[in-house]
Amino acid sequence: MGSDRNISLSAALGYKGDGPFLTYILHRIGGSALFIFFTIYILSLLGAESMHTLMGNWVFQVVFLVFGLFHAINGLRITILDLWPKLIEHYRAAINIEWAAYILVVAFALFIVLRNAFGG
Amino acid sequence: MATRTLPLSKRGFNFEVFMWAFTRFTVIAMYGLLLAGIIGGLIASAQTGANFGDILYWAFFPNLAENPLGQIWMTILAKLMVIAFLLSACGHGVHGVLEILDDYFTSAGARRWARNFVITYAVVASLIAMYVIWTS
Repeated sequence: MGSDRNISLSAALGYKGDGPFLTYILHRIGGSALFIFFTIYILSLLGAESMHTLMGNWVFQVVFLVFGLFHAINGLRITILDLWPKLIEHYRAAINIEWAAYILVVAFALFIVLRNAFGG
Repeated sequence: MATRTLPLSKRGFNFEVFMWAFTRFTVIAMYGLLLAGIIGGLIASAQTGANFGDILYWAFFPNLAENPLGQIWMTILAKLMVIAFLLSACGHGVHGVLEILDDYFTSAGARRWARNFVITYAVVASLIAMYVIWTS
């Protein structure tokens, strides 16, 4: 079994999938970020000092929260549309609502992380 | 746009359908546990007077040195909830990671190795995490 795909990176990046495609790609990036976070978390629990330091780093926390929260909120939209298929007609509105919810949640999360990082 | 719905009885019940359902159910379990965690955070916030945002921060990064809730949140119930979340996340993540890898590993051999590696990793990591959480 092999793939016959022959798509250049520039062609792939130029794909005009708009909002749904963006959420699809960000969902994958978020899932991968959570997988990496899970590994670092386990190593940190085991007492690996370098991983412990990494988890305390605010840049790491910001990256994890930006992508991880998107994965969680986008996953909620996917689950709702999967379980109530009649709502699929309104999928673009659902994506807009998702972005609004995401911006609120991530802004709150980043505020807490940055306040912890820089005091106050 | 017309929606198309096919009842489960007509879809057939194969491995793909099972994993699709498994991924959805594990994610619903995780949302339930997250909601319970947020409510627990609000209760802890009311009991301790600590900022709700700080409570969530400590919940996400619990093993940071300055976490003052270390002893409070590690009750038996909290441990069981964290372990349930861990197992749900692992089951969900294994399917998700394999879905991504299958898009890039196209040969049958590479897919088999990726499958074996990811499942072994998830089992070992889950066992370690459960041990550490339960004994902490």
